[in-house]
Formats: sequence, C-alpha cells, structure tokens
Amino acid sequence: MTFPASAREERGATAARDRTFWGKLSGWAPYGAALRVATASPRRQFLILAICPVIWVLTQHLGPMVQMLRVSLTDAYPVAPGTPQHFTIEHYLAFFHDPLFWQPFFRTLSFAGVFTFCTLVLTYPVAYFLARHVRPKNRMLLLLLLLIPFWVGEIVRTYAIMILLGNTGAVNLVLKWIGLIDRPIPFMYTSFSMGVGIVYLTALYMLLPLYSALEKLPASLNEAAADLGAGAWTRFRRVTLPLTLEGISSGCTLVFLISTGFYATPVLLGGPSTTVFAETIAGFFHVAGDQWPTGAAFAIIMFLAALLVTAAFQKLMSSLRKGDSK
Amino acid sequence: MTRLSMNRRKLLTTAALSGAALATPAYLRRAHAQSGGEVNIWTYNDFVPEAFREQFQDETGIKINVRLVDDQGKQFSLLAAEAPNPTVDIMTVAGHRFLQFIDSDLLAPLDTDRLSNWGNINPTFSESDWATIQGHKWGAPILSGMEVLAYNSDIVSAEEAQTWDTLFSETYAKQTAYIIQDMMSIIMLKMGYDGNMVEYLDNPERAAAIVEEAKNFLIEHKPLVRKYYDGGAEFQQMMVNQDIVLGHSWNGPAAALINDGFPLGMTIPREGSYGFVYTFNIANNAPNMDNAYTFLNAILASPEVGAAMTKASGFISTYKGASEYLTDLEKKSTSFPEEQLANLQFFRAEANEMKYGLVDPAVEAIKAA
Amino acid sequence: MTRHNRILLSCVYWAFVAYVFVPLILMVLMGFKDSKFIGFPIRSYTTDWYTGVLQDTETLTAFGYSVAIAVLSTVISVLVGTWIAVLLEGRKFWGRAVILGMTILPALIPGIISAIAFRIYARLLGIETGMGAIVWSHAVHNVPFVVLVVMARLSTLPKSQIEAARDLGADPLIAFLRITFPYLVPAIMGASIFCLLLSFDDFVRSFFLGGYEPTLPVLIFAKLKSGMSPEINAIATVALVLTAVIGVWAERFTRRMNKD
Repeated sequence: MTFPASAREERGATAARDRTFWGKLSGWAPYGAALRVATASPRRQFLILAICPVIWVLTQHLGPMVQMLRVSLTDAYPVAPGTPQHFTIEHYLAFFHDPLFWQPFFRTLSFAGVFTFCTLVLTYPVAYFLARHVRPKNRMLLLLLLLIPFWVGEIVRTYAIMILLGNTGAVNLVLKWIGLIDRPIPFMYTSFSMGVGIVYLTALYMLLPLYSALEKLPASLNEAAADLGAGAWTRFRRVTLPLTLEGISSGCTLVFLISTGFYATPVLLGGPSTTVFAETIAGFFHVAGDQWPTGAAFAIIMFLAALLVTAAFQKLMSSLRKGDSK
Repeated sequence: MTRLSMNRRKLLTTAALSGAALATPAYLRRAHAQSGGEVNIWTYNDFVPEAFREQFQDETGIKINVRLVDDQGKQFSLLAAEAPNPTVDIMTVAGHRFLQFIDSDLLAPLDTDRLSNWGNINPTFSESDWATIQGHKWGAPILSGMEVLAYNSDIVSAEEAQTWDTLFSETYAKQTAYIIQDMMSIIMLKMGYDGNMVEYLDNPERAAAIVEEAKNFLIEHKPLVRKYYDGGAEFQQMMVNQDIVLGHSWNGPAAALINDGFPLGMTIPREGSYGFVYTFNIANNAPNMDNAYTFLNAILASPEVGAAMTKASGFISTYKGASEYLTDLEKKSTSFPEEQLANLQFFRAEANEMKYGLVDPAVEAIKAA
Repeated sequence: MTRHNRILLSCVYWAFVAYVFVPLILMVLMGFKDSKFIGFPIRSYTTDWYTGVLQDTETLTAFGYSVAIAVLSTVISVLVGTWIAVLLEGRKFWGRAVILGMTILPALIPGIISAIAFRIYARLLGIETGMGAIVWSHAVHNVPFVVLVVMARLSTLPKSQIEAARDLGADPLIAFLRITFPYLVPAIMGASIFCLLLSFDDFVRSFFLGGYEPTLPVLIFAKLKSGMSPEINAIATVALVLTAVIGVWAERFTRRMNKD
C-alpha cells in the first residue's frame, strides 16, 4: 500500500520533531528510501513479505519430506553402493493389502481423538478458572505453577506414572492403607494408564490456547447476559463457548497432531492390545528387518490421514463459528 | 546340525590369568609414540569403563569420543544415514545382527592379526561359528547375553521356573511379560524347531508354517500376558512394581536386579534358550582405522576391564579370567549351572532375512490380535 | 450461584494441580531412594544420588548444552514462525493453503522418521552433525507450533487499530512493530515456552543429528539402558530446579530491561 506524497511529507515533518525511537527511525533518510522501494506497489510489498517464509518452507520443511518421499518410493534403502535402485509404489500398496496394519492405524486416530477430547474437557475448567476467577496479579503465578512439571522429560515423567499406578504404586498403597482394597488394582498397561500418561503430556498444549482465548473475553459480556436473565449454563453455552471456539480449535488441532506422533509414552504405558501406529512405523526402522521404504511410506500415509482429519475438523469449527455469528 | 559344537562348559569357567594385564602399559606406550589423534566410538553407557578411558587417553594420547546409543536399531539407522563416510570408528553390535550390517556394507572385516590380545577372549566366543561370516571375523566379543526366564523368587518356585510353560500357565495369568520378537525364537525352539531357521533355508514353506504355528501359540496365550515390552529397564520396573512376577528377560537387566538385592531368580529353562554376544566392530571406511585397532587391542588387554563391563551391565564378560574381579553376588548373578548352560545355543544370522521376513509380520499380527 | 461455581472451579483447578504434581513429587522422592531402582517400598534413604549429580560434570555439561540448544532454536523458530504467521493471516493469496500445509508438515512426521529425514537432508546440505545441526532441526520442527499459536492470536487483532495507525501516518513496518507486534507478545511468549519445552525434551532428533556431545535427554536414555535408577530422577530434578532458576532470573531480567 502506498501513501500519497503529501501525506509522506507531512509525516516526515512530524517525525523530525518526534524524539522517540520510532520517530527517529521513520525520519531517518535511508530507512525511508528503503521503505519506499519496498512498498512501491502492493505486489512488491507482498513479495517482500512472502519471499523469506516461502524460501524457508520450501527448503527447510519440504526438503526433509521430499527425501522421505523418495525413500518411500525406492525398492531398498539404504542401498549398498553399486546396486541399481528402482522406484516402486509397492510399499504404499502393502498398507492397503494387509488389514493387519489397519487396526493400529485407526486405533491411533481414534485414540488421538478421544485423548484430545479428554484433554479439552479436563483443561477447559482449569483455564476458565485461571482466566475468569483469579485476580490478574496471581494469574501468571498460578499458570506458571502448572507449567513446572512439563519441564521434566517425557521418559522420566512416564516412569513416575508407573511408580504412581503400579501394583505397589502410590495409588494402590494409599487405597490399601485406607482399607478400600485388599489386593492391588492393576492400573498399569491398560488404555487407562496410557490415557493418564498422554493427557499429562498434552494438557499444556491445550491449556495455553484455551487460557489466551478465555483471557481476552470481556467479563461485561457475561454480565450483560446475566442481566438479561440467562442462567449460568446458558451463559456458558451461548456466550463463553462460542467466543472461545478459536482457542478450542487451535488447542485441539495442536493436541491431535502431537498425539498421533506419540511413541514412547504409549509404548511404555500401554498394554498388549494398545499398539499405536507410530510403534508399527518405528518397527520398520528398528527391528531386525531394515525396511526403511515401508516405514517411510506408512509415515506418509499416517501424515496424510492426520492432515485430512485436521482439515475436516477446522472446516467444522469454522462453520460452527459462522453459524454462531449469524 | 546347527547347534553350537563348541564346548559350552567353558563358557563361564575361568582360564588362568595371562600376563597380558602386566604387559598393557608397555604396549600402550609403544602406541603412544606412533599415533595420537582420536577414536570415535558408539556404545552403550559404561561399556567403555571410565578408568580404562582415562588410562588409555593418558598413555596413547588418543582421545576417546563416546557417543552413547541406547538400542541396536537406532545405531543401524544412524550408521546407514551416515554411510558411506561414517564419523564413527567403532560400534557395538549384537553378534546376530552382523549380517544386516555386513549386507549394507557398513562393517569392515576385522584383521585379528593386528590384535595381539585377541587370545584373551574366551574361544567359546572368539572362535565360535556365528562369529565367522563370509570367511571373516567381524567383531571383538566383549559381553555375552542370553534369553532367560526370570522370576520373583518370593512368589514363583525355582521348580516352576525350569520350563517356559510356566510363562503361559493360568497360575500367573496377567502377571507375565516378554519381548515378542525374542519369544518367537524361543517358542520355535520349545516346539522342537530351529529358532534360527537355518535348517529351513531351502524350505521356505516349512519355515512359514513353523512361524505360523509359533504365532498362533502366542496369539492363543495373549489373554494371559500383562505386557509386551521392549527394553530391560521396563522389565526391571515391572518386577519392582510387582506388576509381573515372572517373565522372559535378558540376563543383564535381571542380574542388575539381583545385584541390587531384589528377590529374583533366573534360569535357562529345559526346553533351551538363545544367547547373543555384544561385539566391538570397526566401521567400513572408519576415519581413524589405526586408532580403532589400538583401542580394540588395549581394551582386550585386561580381564579387569571385562569385569568392569560386567559390573556396569550385568552381562557376562567374554574375557578369560574376568570373574576373578567380581564380588560373590556378581558372580552368582552372572553364572548358571552347567546343566542349564548345556541347553543354550547362540543366535545365528544366516537365515535372518528369511526369518525376520516372516517373524516381523507375525509380531505385528500378534500385537493386532 | 457464581460463588458455588467459583468454589467448584477452584476444586477442579487444584485437583488438576495434584494430577500434574504427584508424579513430580514421586520423581523427587525417588531420587532419595537407596537402591539402584525406583519404586516402592523405599527401605532406606540417601542423598548420594543428588550430591553425585551436582558433582558430575558430564551431566551438568549436558544440561548446559541442552539449554543453549533450546534457547537458540527457539529464537530462530519464533522469528521465522511469526513471519510466516503474518504472511498467512494477511490477505488471501494464491497458494496460501499449500504454504500452510507445508508449514505444519514438520510437526506431523513421527519423531524417528523426521530425525532420519533430517539426518539425510543434513548430509545433502553439507551440515556437520553437532550443535548447529541439532539447533537447525529443532528450529524447523518447532516452527509449526509458533505459526499455529501466533495465527490464532493474529486472527483476533482488531483491524481498526492498524487502520487507525496507518491513518495517523505510520508506515506498514512501523505499524507492525508498534501495533501488531505488541498485540502478539503474549502469543509469542506462549509459543516460546512450547519451543523451549519441545527442544529441551527432544531425544530422537538430538540423537540423530548430534555429535559426540550428549544432550540431557540423550544422556538420560543412555543411562536408562542400565535401568531406571534414582540417579536419573535426581538428574531430572536438578535440571528442573536449574531451569526454574534460569527462568525466574530471565523474567526478572526482562522486567528490569523493560523498566529502563
């Protein structure tokens, strides 16, 4: 966008008088010249804004991905020097041919969905409490308090959960001590222990977007609704929830994406029947058979599926938002 | 006949101490004059004992750079990603995975003539048939592991632990754990087949039928298992938390529990079991080839170094005379009765491509069942 | 009514605090166990693990290394991520969806595969393994998180403010720096916390792209091989306390800078 010449001169004059840093900056001749060149036309302005991100995304984000795509299409990798390499799509077909892989695949997607929902339900009230009921002075402190445990590595935390839920774990010890149980309850190596571990990992990624969405919600809206006679539940449903959809959507997207990629926690806390797809994929890289191409192909399938789900979810959320604003 | 023909009784018997330990400093001083520089090693935590490392660096002027790895698969992936110009000189490969590395041209054959201390290794390991592939030696054995049945001795009797069947009995339903890949080999052995699958190299249909049978056995007994695990630390934690009372394990992690005073027993059940050996291997195209040989020869020089590795890992040293340097408890946790050792054979790699081509999908099927 | 709600909500909050802190307390406690394995029952206590960690230069070096990597990669991710977010949240343009898709790519690839892909790509670009390579991979991996968080905030920026600034004669860059950027600060702070956490806790990428110098998670994984000992818990606890101290110091420092 360009400014009319007169406006620019006028600005130069006021800026010269301006003693602030910004004033000095805009009054500085080389800056003004550079800016004029950069913003000569909307198209050029856009190009300058776009060039760095596009280069970064193309070289840094796409580069490794293209490498992986190439690996997924070769018949063997790593190749011994001297042997010819062929391209093939059989690794992709392998997934569709063998129903064996479907189960961990859909399990991962549904687990990720369920755990995302659990995380949302669990952290929404927490974020709500922090943003609406705590004095601003204490908010940061209470929020930071919640962040502390997340500085501990995934593995150490996961083992701590084993100590918590094991047969001789803290929970069973307390229950026994109270006299509620005689024999320990086997919490570990079930979907439950896995859920406890995963929600622990994802809570933060949900909490922060929710908090920032709730925080900027003006309290006056709620009061107005109350004045109009709306009950607490109605107020929440008709006012708070719709206005925080943005935060919910970005939190859920984040958590969903992260939880499809989880490996260590489900492997350590899950049971014999909770294998996730990341484990299947890692198997192709880890276990004796060196089947990188298949692993890479499966990773791309997982990635496309996660992308599809996220896109569908985003569409749903934006139509919800539109519906509300009508 | 694929069974190990070596005298297995020698596995843990201690040979007389050679003069090597005394000769070490002189050898190292000689090396110092020639070399310097550095040697890059990928290995598990504590496989290169700290005291040895310092002494070696002082005496040779060669700096030891250790990159800590935590599993064989990642090590393979990393090396494959670096090939053909690796940054590493020496890796730590499990003997039965040689072939995978060799096939991908990642290992250099070992010139044992350059290692004057090669003879300090118990010949059970250094000269056995799994160690020679395509007419070459590929690594220097340092520690030996085996698949054992480990049990909480407060709850499970030593008698019950004499057979793998206990692992699948209703008595201990939902109190057992094992590594599926390893268990597949053991089940095949238990059913009277060759778990290494070398016998069936010419008969893939039979091989497939056997894997199918083992797979069905594990699927049938899936309701009884508490956890399919991956790493030794998991097994130890399940035992400590009493989530399980018996399970298949490697002897190293089990020995560590015993050494810590946990009431754990371990056996090589009568149906037999498999052993494997960790070796130090030289990478193909290693950047510091000469230093790698200097290092290998130095680390093989003294049984005390072997004992230090055992203390750190719980696995059994391949060095002649290493057990002299162990405490009584450590000796106990790294030795087995003769009649149990007679049931042990080593993993072999010849049929790996066929075997894992069948076993890996079977493992997926068991997990998905 | 609101009173009841308030009490109920505060109960939920403190229950959540308990949920996240109990494992943490167990971790600290287990660092005092006189045994090589964590878990109940604890028969005797010792402070040897903690004193050992504080004297262990290998661990402390690894910690410093991890912190340096986390800070450097976060600075890069935040700069790049904010820029991308501004581009994407601006006017609609051809290929916007494609760029957005490619932007969030790195976050979607499972760890081990992304690590190997980075390793192969690093060789293609001629990047030496070591600190530079780790920082690079963490920065690339974390950009999507910055973009998502910053875009969410940006979408709520009242357009009227920018327009007002422009009407008053501010050029686009100054309008951005004086209006948009301050509005984004909370989102950028949040994104930075994400990035620091992700980088500080990353194992696979650090393992594949690192040299012979271990980061803290790489060291912990290697130690885990010989069992989950109280030593690892002590390391994690000490690292936690040190990061908290650094965090508080950094917060004080920036506050003082802002006052000046």
